[in-house]
Amino acid sequence: MTTYAVTPEATKASVEAALGPLLKRSFIRLGELTIFVDAADYLQAAKILRDDPGCRFEQLMDLCGVDYSTYKDEPQVGLRFCVVCHLLSVSLNQRVRLKVFAPDDNFPVVQSLCDIWNSANWFEREAFDLFGIVFEGHADLRRILTDYGFIGHPFRKDFPVSGHVEMRYDAEQKRVVYQPVTIEPREITPRIIREENYGGVH
Amino acid sequence: MIEGVLKEGFITTTYDTVMNWAKTGSLWPATFGLACCAVEMMQSAAARYDISRFGAEVFRASPRQADLIIVAGTLCNKMAPAFRKVYDQIAEPRWVISMGSCANGGGYYHYSYSVVRGCDRIVPVDIYVPGCPPTAEALLYGIIQLQHKIRRTQTIART
Repeated sequence: MTTYAVTPEATKASVEAALGPLLKRSFIRLGELTIFVDAADYLQAAKILRDDPGCRFEQLMDLCGVDYSTYKDEPQVGLRFCVVCHLLSVSLNQRVRLKVFAPDDNFPVVQSLCDIWNSANWFEREAFDLFGIVFEGHADLRRILTDYGFIGHPFRKDFPVSGHVEMRYDAEQKRVVYQPVTIEPREITPRIIREENYGGVH
Repeated sequence: MIEGVLKEGFITTTYDTVMNWAKTGSLWPATFGLACCAVEMMQSAAARYDISRFGAEVFRASPRQADLIIVAGTLCNKMAPAFRKVYDQIAEPRWVISMGSCANGGGYYHYSYSVVRGCDRIVPVDIYVPGCPPTAEALLYGIIQLQHKIRRTQTIART
């Protein structure tokens, strides 16, 4: 078993003490601490996590979006879009996963963390590009990965894998153009065939 | 050939042969690495495989100085207009080698929303090199095949 300089349990206690009523839920799974806050308290909670002497999460390691609409292949329970941040405290050698759900499924908005951690800038642009989550207070919320003028948010579960358009060169217009997709959608998820207790797993 | 002239250091040949010899002997590729295939392309240019043995070692950063473009990797929708622009800037005669599954037909990303399903949708391709990624030898073989193809073209003589 891995030994921790700071156990997740100790981190959990100090985070709980620092956030107080802002913390809505928290649990430790696989040796990692996950905490939930409300969208309204998100910015305030992030500030506390950075500045509180028991937390001191100086670094935002990652920020991403999650679409829960087909989670576990079951009908959606609760809110659809979630923003997940991974925070690291170098000085205290501890980590935490901060999750916040966007209150409106049709127009997901959460606060931007850019003013707290600079690294949030491109991560939030990525989450906006791929999931359509709007980050309020972000100075430059443009698409970052998909093509200029791209329509839709490709990581949403209702976005078809092959998209809506494809690209080709048009000899008459002498430039590349978009046209509707010409290929048939196909089931490309590999079927897993595994006997019970195969190789001692499961 | 006339014996007397040969002794003086002259040979006779056709214009096409000379032209094709010049074209095949110095293929200058434009540097166009898009993904992991580019690593194999670099490998083919490095000491072990040494693309210069086939006269194609001068990778140019400018398409205006190149006559070959090796599409080494996945061609995304966002890259396609830039790629076409680079191709259009290459002076004639020019050739295209499509290297690897992704450039040949989309490959692993064939069903993706953001990838061009084969670079032949954007530019005309002369040689397809299969593989994922193709080995450095395979790319060299593709270049040799391209040289064979160039030798077949005739500028003056009619077929």
